[in-house]
Amino acid sequence: MFKKTEKVKKDLQEEIRAVTTLTDAEQLKIKYLGRKGIIQDFMKLIPTLPAEQRAAFGQQINALKAEAANFIEDAIGKLSREAIPKVNNEIFDITLPGKLPVTGKKHPLTQTIDDVKEVFARLGFDVVYGPEVELEYYNFEALNIPADHPSRTDFDTFYIKNDILLRSQTSTVQIRVMEKQKPPIRIIAPGKVYRPDTVDARHSFMFHQIEGLLVDEGVSFADLKEVLNQFIKTYFGKDVRMRFRPSFFPFTEPSAEVDISCSLCSGKGCSVCSYSGWVEILGAGMVDPHVFKAVHYDTEKYTGFAFGMGVERITMLKHGISDIRLFYENDIRFLSQF
Amino acid sequence: MKISYNWLKEYAYFYLSPEELADKLTNAGLVVADIKPVEDDYCLEVEVTSNRPDCLGIIGITREVIAAVGGELHIPDTDFETLSAKVTKFIDVTVEDPVLCPHYTARVVRHVTVRPSPEWMQKKLRCIGIRPVNNIVDITNYVMMETGQPIHAFDLDKISDQKIVVRRALDGEMIVVINGVKRALFHDMLVIADSKRPVAIAGVMGGKETEVSDSTRNILLECALFEPGHVRRTSKELGVFTDSSYRFERGTDPGGIELASKRAVKLMKELADGEIVSGVIDIKQREYEKKRIPLRIERLQKILGIEIKRDIASDILKRLQFTIVNEIDNFIDVVVPGFRGDIYREIDLIEEIARIYGYNNIPAKTSICVRGSIKSKYEAVEDCIRQFFIGLGFYEVKTFSIVDVSPLQSVKLWSEQEALDIANPLRQEESRMRTSLLPSLINARRYNVNHGNESIKIFEIARVYLAGNKLPHEKTCLSLLIDADFFTLKGIIESLVLYLGISLKREWIPFSEPKLFRDERAAKIQLDDKTLGYLGEASRELGFKTSFCLSELDMDFLVEKSNFEKRYHPLSPYPPVFRDLAIIVDEEVSWTSIEKCITATHISFLKGVNFFDVYRGKQITAGKKSVAFSLCFQAEDRTLKSEEVETAEWTILDVLHTTLDAELRKL
Ligand SMILES: [Zn+2]
Repeated sequence: MFKKTEKVKKDLQEEIRAVTTLTDAEQLKIKYLGRKGIIQDFMKLIPTLPAEQRAAFGQQINALKAEAANFIEDAIGKLSREAIPKVNNEIFDITLPGKLPVTGKKHPLTQTIDDVKEVFARLGFDVVYGPEVELEYYNFEALNIPADHPSRTDFDTFYIKNDILLRSQTSTVQIRVMEKQKPPIRIIAPGKVYRPDTVDARHSFMFHQIEGLLVDEGVSFADLKEVLNQFIKTYFGKDVRMRFRPSFFPFTEPSAEVDISCSLCSGKGCSVCSYSGWVEILGAGMVDPHVFKAVHYDTEKYTGFAFGMGVERITMLKHGISDIRLFYENDIRFLSQF
Repeated sequence: MKISYNWLKEYAYFYLSPEELADKLTNAGLVVADIKPVEDDYCLEVEVTSNRPDCLGIIGITREVIAAVGGELHIPDTDFETLSAKVTKFIDVTVEDPVLCPHYTARVVRHVTVRPSPEWMQKKLRCIGIRPVNNIVDITNYVMMETGQPIHAFDLDKISDQKIVVRRALDGEMIVVINGVKRALFHDMLVIADSKRPVAIAGVMGGKETEVSDSTRNILLECALFEPGHVRRTSKELGVFTDSSYRFERGTDPGGIELASKRAVKLMKELADGEIVSGVIDIKQREYEKKRIPLRIERLQKILGIEIKRDIASDILKRLQFTIVNEIDNFIDVVVPGFRGDIYREIDLIEEIARIYGYNNIPAKTSICVRGSIKSKYEAVEDCIRQFFIGLGFYEVKTFSIVDVSPLQSVKLWSEQEALDIANPLRQEESRMRTSLLPSLINARRYNVNHGNESIKIFEIARVYLAGNKLPHEKTCLSLLIDADFFTLKGIIESLVLYLGISLKREWIPFSEPKLFRDERAAKIQLDDKTLGYLGEASRELGFKTSFCLSELDMDFLVEKSNFEKRYHPLSPYPPVFRDLAIIVDEEVSWTSIEKCITATHISFLKGVNFFDVYRGKQITAGKKSVAFSLCFQAEDRTLKSEEVETAEWTILDVLHTTLDAELRKL
């Protein structure tokens, strides 16, 4: 019996040496290790042996099985590495496409919010959040927008109940933070806002804003300009120019709208910038004393600035996206582009 | 507001092309959105912010041009000859509500000839998009566009008993307005009435019965001041928005009434051959006091952050038609002109100076101190979760928080309370605050399937809105949708939990929500005996051809339990020993009970129990199943002897046999 196993081993070694193709090697594997293979046949012999020989023979077979498996796997491994060029003169085409792992992406709006957060984090701004379903007071009165005031026209709002609404701006977070905290304050507040606008390529009833607020002693309009300048240069690029235009917001005085030079036409004028060479990207201003009064700050001691930007808007500008609805359709073909 | 370039040039000399003019106005805060050539003129579309009603007239805009480029304002001449007859002979005016109508004036022009207005006037009106009607109507429009003060012309002969009463409407009172529509009035609305009926809704719109027609001979010209908030409320309640209400609700200039009224009657004399009756009915509650505001130069410099000098500041204020009463050292004492109702504080003056000085002439420089910003735990965990899912090939989506009222959208995973409804929705499709993100993710999958995107993996981090005391509880959820089977998603969640450093006890409890999940293929996930979230195969009722899985987790809870503190555990130098076992148990025996049974043996060197297969088939008796798993043994202090491992194995099999009636499966 033992001689038989020795012979099998020898045969196998010879056969392996002769093998030149992967298919032959696989055949060999079946011949020796398969369910009806040579080694399995030996197994079947075990019960026929005298009891005292069984254990020793069993061990012998197991050892053979392990060895055979090693030989054959080695051969398969070696052949599969060489197989193509050696056997068929086929050429290993390194230009065939690689097997791409599946990767995901952050939503483009999240990417914008993260980028903005990072710029301002370096300037010492903390990220805070506030409720989206909000008391009317925080959305209007505290921000110096009284009832029956025409400035409310600019702030059409969804209501849940009488004095509860969906915030139409992230400026609400300014008040909530200042109520709880004394200056110095340096925050940005990203989040969803809601306005009853009919949906089209440029309007959505839900969109995202990022609000910024800095309050301290001796903060000036020049500081506001520099902070926004740093943001714009970092986010939109070093060569982008910035323009401040006087504007009106009830919660800032002086108020400004900030434009950047149109990157599409480098300021020469195109359809994106309505042929003005400039595109509006955010609103800003010095915090109105009325707002400080609402949170019991000393208006003589403290000054501050606030700014707010539309996340969709700056994302659309940065990537040349022409329709706001794309952000909420979540078509993978769209999401995978960013 | 639309303005005509040629018309504007009548009030000041300047040498600016339409484009240059647009640029100056834009930089002063009056954005010119569009310049259109009209005939031999240009129409400029100016965006006037709601705080600047003074710029709702061409004269007002001219003042801004002068402030920017210098020059002098030419106000039209309003001298005219009158009849000797007194106005009181023709009309009697009573103001019953002086709060809502603080100032009312009336003039009378007799023997007018109603005909088309001259071409020069029609041309200007056409340029700014106003359709010419007849000389009288055109004059009222012309003067309103010129001065910003709305005026109204009544056919005097149609005013009953020659009486005007400014009063509150009676409930149920009706008026047919100029466009022929009949309107019911409410008690709190202010009307202009004659002895019998309302003839105009104050500040909003005139009545049809007393409007000027081709046969009109005598004119009653109203020029008044109405309380802005009241006009706004009335106009909103009636849904009527006019050039007149637009101006009144923003606040008109009390000092501008006389000019507008005189200018209008003078034009009626010139263009309609009218005869102006002597005098004016002028009912006002008080003289307007002009506001006086002291300005501190030091404060100005502090707010703007520049060394702006006093003489520059006072020069700018003068160009804006402010009166400087006094200036010494660091103070300027300023009197505000009546048309600038928006200026009443020092900060308002500072803005005016900054605006005309030029925001772009203020340098960008900062002396803000250095400050560190610490990432909150929420931010850290959120970043970590996003990275985790992106790494696994998930796309992040963003969907709307306002949803429809379908049963699917009303799933109550997190609260038994009813969802919050929007009181004033635009459409039924967006009228309720969502209570779960999953229906939106399902819609996102549907959209992708319809657009040929197969096999998707998406996640969203957003809030759901659960009714609370005063304000709702806004819970942040992490929701997942994957085109894979239950155990793939379960594995991802298990892996996430470990990734976040959470080693608390987890349990998977059968859960049913037929609107979302397929029966008997959903679980509620308990973490530390509290609900972490839900997981399941999507219900077949959702109407998709292929199956997929969904999960929604409590993000706030994940953040709370996340633990990024990491401590090193020494690596064992001794090799682990793996043993694979397969046992046959009753169908009802769950993996959890098998696992519990094994860990209850407390074998100190048992390091892990890893499930790998369930098998039901020919070799297995019906009602039974084979469960295969691998045991990992490893000691910290020695190489395990094979006898130790064998004994442990037998101990485990023994316990499984006695507790769960498990048999070792013989291969
Ligand atoms: Zn452009």
